[in-house]
Amino acid sequence: MRYINILPIAMLCALCTACSSDNDDRDMQPPVISTDGIVANPVDCQVYHRGDTIPFAYVFTDDHELGNFQIEVHSNADHHNHAGAAGACQFDEDSEPVNPWHYNPDTPFTIPEGLKHYEARMLIAIPDSVDTGDYHFSIRLYDRVGWSAHLPISIKIAE
Amino acid sequence: MFATLLAASLSLCAAGDTTITLHAVTVSSQRQHDVQMRSSQASVQVGADYLQDHFAGSLMQTLEAIPGVKAMSIGSGQSKPAIRGLGFNRIVVSEDGIKHEGQQWGADHGLEVDQFAVDRAEVVKGPAALLYGSDAIGGVLNLYTNHIPTSALEGTARLFCRSNNAQLGLSAKVGGCHGRFFYRANATLIDYGDYRVPTDSIEYYSYYVRLPNRRLRNTAGLERDGSVMVGYAGYRFHADIRVSDSYSHSGFFADAHGMEVRLSKIDYNRSSRDIDVPSQWVNHFNVLGHASWHTARFAADGRVAYQRNVREEHSEPVAHGYMPRPSGTLERRFVKDTWSGNAFVRWQPSGQHELQAGVCGEWQRNRRGGWGFVMPDFDAWSGGVYAMEQYRPTQALMLQAGMRCDVARTHILSYTDWYATPVAGTSVYMQRSADLCRRFSSMTWSAGMAYSLGEWVVKANAGKSFRVPIPKELGADGINYHVFRYEQGNAALDPEECYQLDAAVYYNGRRLAIRVEPYASYFPNYIYLSPTLEGVEGLQLYRYTQASVGRCGIEAAADWHVDSHWTAQLAAEWLYARQQSGPMRGYTLPFSTPWSVRPGIRYSYVWHGEGYVGLDADIVGRQSEIVPPEKPTASHWTLNATAGKHIPLPRGMLHLTLQAENLLNRRYYDHTSYYRLIDVPEPGFGVSFMLGWEF
Repeated sequence: MRYINILPIAMLCALCTACSSDNDDRDMQPPVISTDGIVANPVDCQVYHRGDTIPFAYVFTDDHELGNFQIEVHSNADHHNHAGAAGACQFDEDSEPVNPWHYNPDTPFTIPEGLKHYEARMLIAIPDSVDTGDYHFSIRLYDRVGWSAHLPISIKIAE
Repeated sequence: MFATLLAASLSLCAAGDTTITLHAVTVSSQRQHDVQMRSSQASVQVGADYLQDHFAGSLMQTLEAIPGVKAMSIGSGQSKPAIRGLGFNRIVVSEDGIKHEGQQWGADHGLEVDQFAVDRAEVVKGPAALLYGSDAIGGVLNLYTNHIPTSALEGTARLFCRSNNAQLGLSAKVGGCHGRFFYRANATLIDYGDYRVPTDSIEYYSYYVRLPNRRLRNTAGLERDGSVMVGYAGYRFHADIRVSDSYSHSGFFADAHGMEVRLSKIDYNRSSRDIDVPSQWVNHFNVLGHASWHTARFAADGRVAYQRNVREEHSEPVAHGYMPRPSGTLERRFVKDTWSGNAFVRWQPSGQHELQAGVCGEWQRNRRGGWGFVMPDFDAWSGGVYAMEQYRPTQALMLQAGMRCDVARTHILSYTDWYATPVAGTSVYMQRSADLCRRFSSMTWSAGMAYSLGEWVVKANAGKSFRVPIPKELGADGINYHVFRYEQGNAALDPEECYQLDAAVYYNGRRLAIRVEPYASYFPNYIYLSPTLEGVEGLQLYRYTQASVGRCGIEAAADWHVDSHWTAQLAAEWLYARQQSGPMRGYTLPFSTPWSVRPGIRYSYVWHGEGYVGLDADIVGRQSEIVPPEKPTASHWTLNATAGKHIPLPRGMLHLTLQAENLLNRRYYDHTSYYRLIDVPEPGFGVSFMLGWEF
């Protein structure tokens, strides 16, 4: 009987050795999109005009290393999304989009390697001919490992 | 006897039901020792009595009491099996010896099996490619619905209900034999309302979603199953044919389906029992023919099956990205036809040797429809041959070894968007999936031993298993609404391989039974859906990659029959996984099962028939081993009670089973639930009840 017990014990020991190579400098936290220390743009319920430029400004942080970020803008004319967070904006009446603005660059914006803190600033031009109404401005931030943060913002485009 | 016991241990390519029907074995059975000596692999068999006494709302929740088995909750109260932390297409679910095709195909619907038709179940833990071929990398769940009636008329009628989602079900089973001919028929109807959770709101995708009446809106559904079987059971020859159909229709939690929280015009709070869009229906139709012939030293067995899986997902048509508003609600439709067959011969030249050889083949065709694309059309076929030998030099020692060869071919058809996307100033109908033809082949093996000494049985097994990449992994290009990400296939994937070392030690004493089952495995090229730093259609892009992965774990269980009334049980499991290469090196695998311990006591009595009451606790550890997009899950414990009574009637027996879950109404999260990602807690206090009349 004593011999019988050796097998599982030996196997367990082998398992424990095989499995105890933990390295805990792993990135286990998603990055953060914040407005700390800057005047961030755009923010919920802001109104822009056709032909305007959105002075995009946000602060990105991560405890290990930032990766890429993406910006996407699409029409929210039928209000298919954005059930209100606290203090929802006043939406226009539902409508069918005719020439909605769709801003969706093919490749993500890169952040220089090795950064834990980055202030993203850029100018995004709103075309002259697009539909007015409610839009959805979405910021998506990834860290080097693939953890992500998402900030959806409701904006309005007026004449 | 020896031959028949061996016969019973082999199932898919080798269902041994023609020679023996002594399968109603539970964990505490005296036959346990013999069962353990049948194979060098760890397996647990549960019979009809166990399934009835442990009825917990669904078959998977019932089987979850087995250490190493987990019901992965996929929403709407439905769950999928996972064995030792691996699920979906890494385990095989077989029904009467044929691989069930509904399982490996979609991640977001239940078992598609009439759980009340199941007579017994067997869980094979660990890789079992030798007998089951591709996919059996994590284990096998064998469901048997082919019990042969022994009287002219017998059957069971069951009524069951569950408080959480106001579920009501009816199931009836009849069968009979006339001479050597027999028949069986089964029908089940289930209807349930919206699923209730102990919270008033959840946070989804940086929004708070309110849950009026603490219900997950639009998770109601229904299920209808039926089957008919006729057969001939002679002394040497057996043949049967079974036709079954399983249909379910259910809603998806409206706020957690789709790319963003939707401000829908539908009044989801109107009724807790209606099914609005988004919703799905799934149908699994199966025809299975089986024949076998045996003599004292020789047996031959063959089966052929046709399965048709249909699934439709309906959503509110909305424009998104460059896609204009589609005309109907049919977002996705899949129709898959599968023809499969297998046969084996078994020969016992002497009392010590037994040889078995078999062939398996399968052909599949999948066609899609609807305005949303996620998985391409495909045609696929696969085939395998294997041979194995069992050798018993003495009564106490069993050695077994085998080899298997498989080939597979997958043809993925191209798919082009039905709407145009502007690219560099022009409009382009984007191709999402290219025409692709891949061939795969694999050689696998397994070798092991079982040794018995008095009340002890020791087993060890080493083996290689494999898995052919499924078309979704090769050619997916779309949104997985249930994990909220955009998934992209990788046409260059190789077959996934796994080397595993298993051991098991069993002690079967008069009052005490102990099982300890450790394992370690290595995947040189685990197919992993890895996060990228890109986004598509408003969701993060995940792409299939391959990484080497090491896994290990242990399961243990003890049953102590204190006296004729009291029984104490203790079950525990732990597992560990690490990616050893690739972009997520050093991280675990998704949905890693945390450690758990389950102590329980049970009091049995005899008073106008047998009865019992039991209490058990479920203690689950914290899981901080996570990969994107998961969150750590806190430890938790719950108390559950169970009671049952069997009342003899002039004709037959009345069975009553009562299960009370989460007695203290604690709020907790299950790390392996799909709803964990959107912070939906597990159900609070709830009761399920079953009344059965067996005649």
